[in-house]
Amino acid sequence: MQNVDHFENQKEQMSGASSEYLTFRLGSEEYGIDILKVQEIRGYEAPTRIANAPHFIKGVVNLRGTIVPIVDMRLKFNCQSCGYDEFTVVIILNLRQRVVGIVVDSVSDVMSLSDDQLRNPPEIDSTIDTDSIIGLGSLDKRMLILLDIEKLMSSSDMGLVT
Amino acid sequence: MPVILTVDDSPSMRKMVSFTLTGAGYEVVEAVDGVDAYEKAQLRTFDLVLTDQNMPRLDGLGLTRKLREHPGFRSTPILMLTTESSDLMKQADRAAGATGWLVKPFDPVRLIEVIKKVVR
Amino acid sequence: MAEVQQDSSGSGADFDLSQFYQIFFEEAGENLDQMEQMLLHLNLDTADDEELNGIFRCAHSIKGGAATFGFSDVAELTHKMESLLDKLRRHELKPNSLMVDVLLESADASRALLACHQSGTVGQGPATGDLVRRIQSLVNGEAVPAARQVAPQQPPTVEVTPPNPAKPAGDVPDAVGNKPSAGRQLVIRLTKLQQVEQANAVMELFRDIPGLGEIKASVAADALLDERVFEVHTTSSNEELLDLFAFHVAREQVVIEELSPPVGAGTNAPDGVPVNAGEPTAVAAQGYGFFDGAPGAPVQPVAEAKAPAVAVEVSKPSAKSGGAGFVQPEAATIRVAISKVDQLINLVGELVITQAMLAQNSRTLDPTIYQQLLTGLADLDRNTRDLQESVMSIRMIPMSVVFSRFPRMLRDLAGKLGKKVEFVTLGEATELDKGLVEKITDPLTHLVRNSCDHGIELPAERVRAGKPESGTITLSAAHQGGSIVIEVRDDGKGMSRKKILDKARERGMDVSDQLSDAEVWQLIFAPGFSTAEVVTDVSGRGVGMDVVKRNISALNGTVEIESSEGYGMRVSVRLPLTLAIMDGMSVGVGSEVYILPLSSVVESFQVRSDAVSTVGQDSRLVKVRDEFMPVIELEKVFQVPRYDTERTSDMMVVIEADGSRVVLLVDELLGQQQVVVKNLESNYRKVPNVSGATILGDGKVALILDTAALVRRSRH
Repeated sequence: MQNVDHFENQKEQMSGASSEYLTFRLGSEEYGIDILKVQEIRGYEAPTRIANAPHFIKGVVNLRGTIVPIVDMRLKFNCQSCGYDEFTVVIILNLRQRVVGIVVDSVSDVMSLSDDQLRNPPEIDSTIDTDSIIGLGSLDKRMLILLDIEKLMSSSDMGLVT
Repeated sequence: MPVILTVDDSPSMRKMVSFTLTGAGYEVVEAVDGVDAYEKAQLRTFDLVLTDQNMPRLDGLGLTRKLREHPGFRSTPILMLTTESSDLMKQADRAAGATGWLVKPFDPVRLIEVIKKVVR
Repeated sequence: MAEVQQDSSGSGADFDLSQFYQIFFEEAGENLDQMEQMLLHLNLDTADDEELNGIFRCAHSIKGGAATFGFSDVAELTHKMESLLDKLRRHELKPNSLMVDVLLESADASRALLACHQSGTVGQGPATGDLVRRIQSLVNGEAVPAARQVAPQQPPTVEVTPPNPAKPAGDVPDAVGNKPSAGRQLVIRLTKLQQVEQANAVMELFRDIPGLGEIKASVAADALLDERVFEVHTTSSNEELLDLFAFHVAREQVVIEELSPPVGAGTNAPDGVPVNAGEPTAVAAQGYGFFDGAPGAPVQPVAEAKAPAVAVEVSKPSAKSGGAGFVQPEAATIRVAISKVDQLINLVGELVITQAMLAQNSRTLDPTIYQQLLTGLADLDRNTRDLQESVMSIRMIPMSVVFSRFPRMLRDLAGKLGKKVEFVTLGEATELDKGLVEKITDPLTHLVRNSCDHGIELPAERVRAGKPESGTITLSAAHQGGSIVIEVRDDGKGMSRKKILDKARERGMDVSDQLSDAEVWQLIFAPGFSTAEVVTDVSGRGVGMDVVKRNISALNGTVEIESSEGYGMRVSVRLPLTLAIMDGMSVGVGSEVYILPLSSVVESFQVRSDAVSTVGQDSRLVKVRDEFMPVIELEKVFQVPRYDTERTSDMMVVIEADGSRVVLLVDELLGQQQVVVKNLESNYRKVPNVSGATILGDGKVALILDTAALVRRSRH
């Protein structure tokens, strides 16, 4: 659970970065991540399977010569089994330690949020581990769960870190 | 802008001298030893030649002598950078036709001072 | 950049010289390497002028840079080395092995000191006082210097507080023709001192350098807080003193005043500067001067150099090198950051893949319609191959880079062990990828050490066996096909078959006496197998041949041993020419493609069910000719999903890795091709049984199998 100090710290970190967020949907929830961490958005192509990997790590793909793992966030957090079609979206993230692709339900727009649009996250029941939640953004009628995507992807249960 | 030819087989020394001189408003051409310097001297004149003494292929003394035989360099100031400051060395420098000498290690500030005395 | 400590003397405060440090460290490293090589090759009896000059210049260059950039400990030591080398090149002294020893040790110490500066750990470097003393003794022409065994690797003792770590002991440059005059009485004032240690260090110079003179602290009424005054009695010239002091205080900080006129000054006054009290000596402190009447001299002669009118014939060796013809210019080179080269190689790798993809996709085109396109693609194929070869060759460096460390190492090692060893190298110009060079150095070092330690016998023993007193270790490299073969050969006592078999049995290995020689030698690669025969580490770190083998396997290489008891031993290491590109065999399992390193593949054949037997629960063995080998079903290992139940794995591929053979069961063999090896761990993590990945012609990723891991797996 977030307390105010922790939130303030996070906000401070975030205010150093841009306050522009790429928004995407996972199930019924909408998330926002720092746009600077997003390298590109692609369609889904069948990755090369890696044996004995967790079921939500679909495998690796060739991204212009770099081998990039693909993590299906829907499988990890949302549904038991999900389909892949021409509308399936992969967000390629360029993080400090690695380049990794995440499969999400859909990608929306890039939103700018100013400080007064940020809220302290209440004890929400989010599928995603609350340690990675920085706060809530609210715009019009939408509520965005703001994620520290770097932290989330480096957490051990993501299976990317040895 | 006056152009200075700096000759030294040590890259770090060359870079340092180059940096110091360009910072003071001079144009600098670098050569890695006497042979390289003499070749560059065939292509243009310089307002000053700063040369190290100990270098492979052709050392400072040799370079000075050759330059003095060249019509374009008869009166160009040539300064020897040397760690040997013995009397004998100075005599050799003078005999070869050097204009003066500067002892290494030197202070970049002093280098500029000395150069100002010979470069118009 | 790492923090680098710098002394306060010798550098202008307004100029930041630290940007040049890195260049200097590299340059000094190269000079030290060159110096070491030349010292090792120096023929003591017929030492060549060129050689001696070359070695001198290396020391001189390092000293100059070290002094300029404020690394006074290095400057002092190299200054000392330079003074010995100067005498040698002028033929005032004859070179002997004691000199070579102390110079080599000093080069080591300089390297260590520079490393300290580079990493910012000043004050922890080796103590240089003993080296300096020994050099000084040799310079003075003493036959046997008082040599204390100072090993540079010993835990360093911090002697003096920074920023003047080493004991100061710069020598007074000794020029030919300098007649020391009788003593002069001077008052020396050190001004603008930042630390009192600087003044103390100056005083210590007089204590440490025999013949420099006497120094006594003195008082002056007008001395400022940051000044120290001394009375000095010396026969040295002001210039020489200033040169010496320069290691601790900048010239501008020193004011020298003479109390009495020079005694016995003749026409050969050692000091070109007129020594009157006051002003002119300050001129000497400036460290520069102009020759009156010289071309280009300033109109107002600022300073001195009143050299005697007698023109002295200077016949220094360096002048000689100036006169006679030029040496042909060496091949021009350019320094490039490694990252740029790697980037270039990556891009070319991409190009190769794209071109392969185009080739694949165009295979189905009708040649009559698309003739131009297909011709163009064929050209592209050729160009890409040529480009690739060219680019890979940028990273190729000659084996001499690896070989160069051995003469020194063997000299020291043989000396310690009391053995006589000749070291021969062949094929030094053979080139190898830089990445490989770095990784092959350690294993080769172990092998060479082995030969020296356990192969070559003591001189007496050799003579008894009818061999020459000196053993020979030969290191050779040559290209063979797409590989490089490196051999370490010695004419020592070879390995004893019996001892190895005994040792193997001791370790519980079930070995039959019928094993061939080659198989017996391979036993020494078993983990933990170390007899005094084959393991060595003179400094006490036990390292086994198994580590050597593992290192080489990791490079997709192989090791073979030949030995003949009493005659010697030969170890052959075979490596693919580069890490980045590998010859692969692609195999299909289900709808997936896996790549095997071709160097691991022995043979393949269709399975015959009668040849396969099941042992235990799941283990299967297959009989190939007379050998039984474990079967690894890739479908099981990688849990490959089967969609088409009609297909089964019925191709067997025999692979050899980590000293054993196993058989892989796959669906089909797809082909052989060169693959660009990509790292899986950069963005993902280490995957068991997988050594990397590659991109196929269709753009898909295929995993490259770690055959050694698969083999090991089969053992459990």
